[in-house]
Amino acid sequence: MSMNLEREKVTLPLEEVQIKTSMITKVLYVGMVVSMLAAFYFIFMYAEVEKTMGVVQKIFYMHVPSAWVAFLAFFVTFVFSILFLIKRKRIYDTYAYVSAEIGVVFTAIVLTTGPIWAKSSWNTWWAWEPRLTTTLILFFLFMAYLMVRQMDGVWDKKARLAAVFGIIGFADVPIVFFAIRWWQSKFHPIVFGDGPSQEGGGIAPTMLVALLVTIAAFTFLYAYILHKGVSFENMKIKVGHYKEKLRERLEN
Amino acid sequence: MLKAALTIAKKDIYSELRTKQVLGTMIIFAGLVILVLSFAFDPANNTTKAVIPGAVWIIIVFSGILGLNRSLVSEQRNDTMHGLLVAPMDASSIYLGKFIANFSMIIIVEIVAIPFLFLLFDFKMTGSILYFILVLFVGSFGFIAIGTFLSALASNSKSSEMLLPLLLFPMTTPILIGVTQATKIILTNMEKLPNAIAWMQLVVAYDVIFFVLCFILIEYVLEV
Amino acid sequence: MGFMYGAYSVVWLIIFGYMLLIGKRHNSLKKDIEFLKQLDK
Repeated sequence: MSMNLEREKVTLPLEEVQIKTSMITKVLYVGMVVSMLAAFYFIFMYAEVEKTMGVVQKIFYMHVPSAWVAFLAFFVTFVFSILFLIKRKRIYDTYAYVSAEIGVVFTAIVLTTGPIWAKSSWNTWWAWEPRLTTTLILFFLFMAYLMVRQMDGVWDKKARLAAVFGIIGFADVPIVFFAIRWWQSKFHPIVFGDGPSQEGGGIAPTMLVALLVTIAAFTFLYAYILHKGVSFENMKIKVGHYKEKLRERLEN
Repeated sequence: MLKAALTIAKKDIYSELRTKQVLGTMIIFAGLVILVLSFAFDPANNTTKAVIPGAVWIIIVFSGILGLNRSLVSEQRNDTMHGLLVAPMDASSIYLGKFIANFSMIIIVEIVAIPFLFLLFDFKMTGSILYFILVLFVGSFGFIAIGTFLSALASNSKSSEMLLPLLLFPMTTPILIGVTQATKIILTNMEKLPNAIAWMQLVVAYDVIFFVLCFILIEYVLEV
Repeated sequence: MGFMYGAYSVVWLIIFGYMLLIGKRHNSLKKDIEFLKQLDK
């Protein structure tokens, strides 16, 4: 039976349950702010304006890094899900959860900036293009993951089920992408070129620099939020223990 | 392992044949879906023929969800889940047994509902019936395999009926894309058969990958 | 041009919205802690 293992270590002084600003938080915070400011400088001052699309192309610098962070976050969820199933430590589960949540947020960014850009450059809000559709399905998959987390019951059951779903969900993504790509290329001519993020070899060096700086900035942002979220979840768990202990004492 | 699985499947099918609760509901529901489709797409209209291959899968998916919802939740409700888990067999044979039971049920629903669909919409098949059966088999196999797994996962939740479609639909998109495309080709346009076979290969690959993955991971889902 | 402003504002709206959500969770947890401390006395 999935017993509640939390009972063991309830001797916990409340003073420990405080919001600590550790060294790593500060480093990540400073890194995020600095790189974000740098990213804005590079996007608006340094990178040249694209010739055909004009300023609108600068959406690219938000769109692509968000997509990168989203995939990174889901990958982290995948890895920590496997780790959790092997080692069964609660910290892995916390990481997987927080990372999935951040991933959903950044997927939402991708899915909103994408259509805005599409409207301005292709003159249509949405195209059933492989990358877009895969991102949409990814969004739904990890929304479902978060729904699994909302289940009732003890934490280790929820963690176990969510980890399993995280693994098969992530394993599904390449197949989804492949299937959609195939579906589209066989039955519709590709009208819109290769989709938004396919600047490929034609990208100007200044743009590439700006893009890389923005990706770095977004990765810092991700790391910062992840760290923040994990320490918050840990604190929540501690408060839960404390509550349990207090209730026991009041009952007796 | 196979023997244990067959025992579970037999148990499920027997109890189902006793009550005919789920199977009856699934078939009636399939009929209702056909009815709704006839309102949505005018059967007298010739363009409606184009949506029939998709309609086949709408029926399978929606009535399949009904059956999957019941298959493991009923064990939880009757508190027989623990009995199954402490029985001397692995979790994977429970999965296999449940899978066989669900699969045979969906096959029965397909046998009843799809001729009805063709009849009521006056659909004349131009393609090969053998390939059509193959597509149905391959598609339902994958759908039920992953569906049984996810219903085991969702059955832990109090609102598993709501949770299961949310988990299942995004997960099965490759199957749904593959089989609808293959069915469309096979039913209406046999010249493109190589394309249909390529789609079926994709679905088979998906089936194999996920069947193995579910087999490995079911141990963690059905843990006590 | 308008599209770009739109996209940038949407991006930061979502990010700050999420941060706000985290902050809200923090506050409710802090309230919980305060309450428990009161109870503990």
